[in-house]
Amino acid sequence: MKAVKDAAAGSLESSDVLVTVTPSEGEDNTLSVDSIVFRQFGGRIRSVAEEVIASSGLAGAAVKVQDRGALECTLRARLETAIERALGRA
Amino acid sequence: MNNPVLDAREDRWNRRRAMAATLPAGWSVLSFTLRLPAPLRLGGDFDRDAEGLFRDLVFHLGSRGFPVESPSFAVRADGPEGLCAVRGDGEAVKRAVVEFEEGHPRGCLADGDLMDSLRGETGRKSLGLPPRRCLVCGRPAAECVAGRTHGTGEVRASVDRLLSVPGGVPGERPVSAIGETARKAVLFETVAFPKPGLVDPLSRGAHGDMDCFTFLASSAALAPVWERFARLGFRFGGDDPAGLLPSLREEGIRAERMMFSATGGINTHKGLIFSLGILCASAGMIASEGIPLSPEVCASRGAAIVRGITGRDFASLKGTADGRPLTAGERFYLSDGVTGIRGEAERGFPSVTGTGLPSLRSSLAKGLSLNDAMVDGLLALMTVVEDTNILSRGGREGERIVRENAVYALELGGMGSKEGKEAVREMNGLFTRCNLSPGGSADLLAVTVFLHLLTPASG
Repeated sequence: MKAVKDAAAGSLESSDVLVTVTPSEGEDNTLSVDSIVFRQFGGRIRSVAEEVIASSGLAGAAVKVQDRGALECTLRARLETAIERALGRA
Repeated sequence: MNNPVLDAREDRWNRRRAMAATLPAGWSVLSFTLRLPAPLRLGGDFDRDAEGLFRDLVFHLGSRGFPVESPSFAVRADGPEGLCAVRGDGEAVKRAVVEFEEGHPRGCLADGDLMDSLRGETGRKSLGLPPRRCLVCGRPAAECVAGRTHGTGEVRASVDRLLSVPGGVPGERPVSAIGETARKAVLFETVAFPKPGLVDPLSRGAHGDMDCFTFLASSAALAPVWERFARLGFRFGGDDPAGLLPSLREEGIRAERMMFSATGGINTHKGLIFSLGILCASAGMIASEGIPLSPEVCASRGAAIVRGITGRDFASLKGTADGRPLTAGERFYLSDGVTGIRGEAERGFPSVTGTGLPSLRSSLAKGLSLNDAMVDGLLALMTVVEDTNILSRGGREGERIVRENAVYALELGGMGSKEGKEAVREMNGLFTRCNLSPGGSADLLAVTVFLHLLTPASG
């Protein structure tokens, strides 16, 4: 499903993550990850994000993850909410 | 979203952004939260500590010269939070917040985030400061949080250990700050020299029965007292400041007993216990209302606390004058209508705010040392203070000698000139020979130093 609007979920507070989704040309998604614990958890954050994006059916969107040390469950919840919002469902 | 904790956090983030967007340039939004994992943060056990920490943080920013507006504290689904607007350069304010987080005994539990409409978030990293440390192991906290390195029980044990360390009651940071400032002022006044006619480290002045060590012993005995006066003011909930006076009097009587037992019965600081005690209480009361401390506000609140004291104290004298021996102040009120320190306090310490403090600060501004600026402040006070110590020993003639000599030394440039210094040295000899001790001015010098140190922003 194509992203239809700009959307965000979360915050830049400590232990949280801000996920923003922006509609882009074509059907492909792009993902950028920035984290204060990138060295330790950057790979894990990326794979969780890819997994959530894939299972959501999102297409044609730029997803940006700005992590401030969030737990994995928080990251998942923020990603799901941002995508829902970008798809115009929430 | 259906997670209330995450919803609440996102909601706070959006409120912060909305608030930052509406503030004028030069203002930031400060958001305060507890740096604890959700199971501890949400349990309610730390809500009161959080509220106290937030109040202490607001006070800290004020004392660093950053005005705070509309502070609000609430416990929401994400736990306790505080929000307020702060005026000042974003980076400078953030540094003051970090100073609090690192310096307050419970500061490691506080998380203060700053945001302004121009730069967005100002974090430790952007200032080149090291990251926060984990409460349990001291490693960068974000790593332990993201990796769930420590269980809730382990964090709880660390927090309990932190809270068991003495460091004052959270929320009463102003009280300990006021107490510390008063202790400093008393000690600074004691060692300032030369103080004509008074005890200083090099001279006993016009006193045969005491020396500098007597004053240091008394200062040490009184060290815990100032904080108690400040706490009485801080916790006073009444509408009329005068309602605080009876409990201050009780505290003052206890303090006098401590002083006399430390000095072997010599009166070193009785007058100061009265005036500085009132001002500590006044400062505490003002701080509890979130009003920035300034010398004028502090002095005029002190006046409100003692309102009517001169009339009340002296009205009863005529009836009981034949009972106990009268103090110098009481005798001169009866004979000459001199109101002494009571009148000074009741009028809002005009000698201090109008003469002593401007003199001290102008000498400091000229580059004089604190010691020399204090001596200049003392000379200035001598020219205006109605000093019952002088009146009781030397009468009106003694008062004239003190005032004329102080004016003369100041006209020569005070401690800022060679001639002025020489005049001060000669004053010491003269006052000692004439048995003149300007103890009232000395007390008000300590008060002057107290107000100077308590309100650095306006200096």
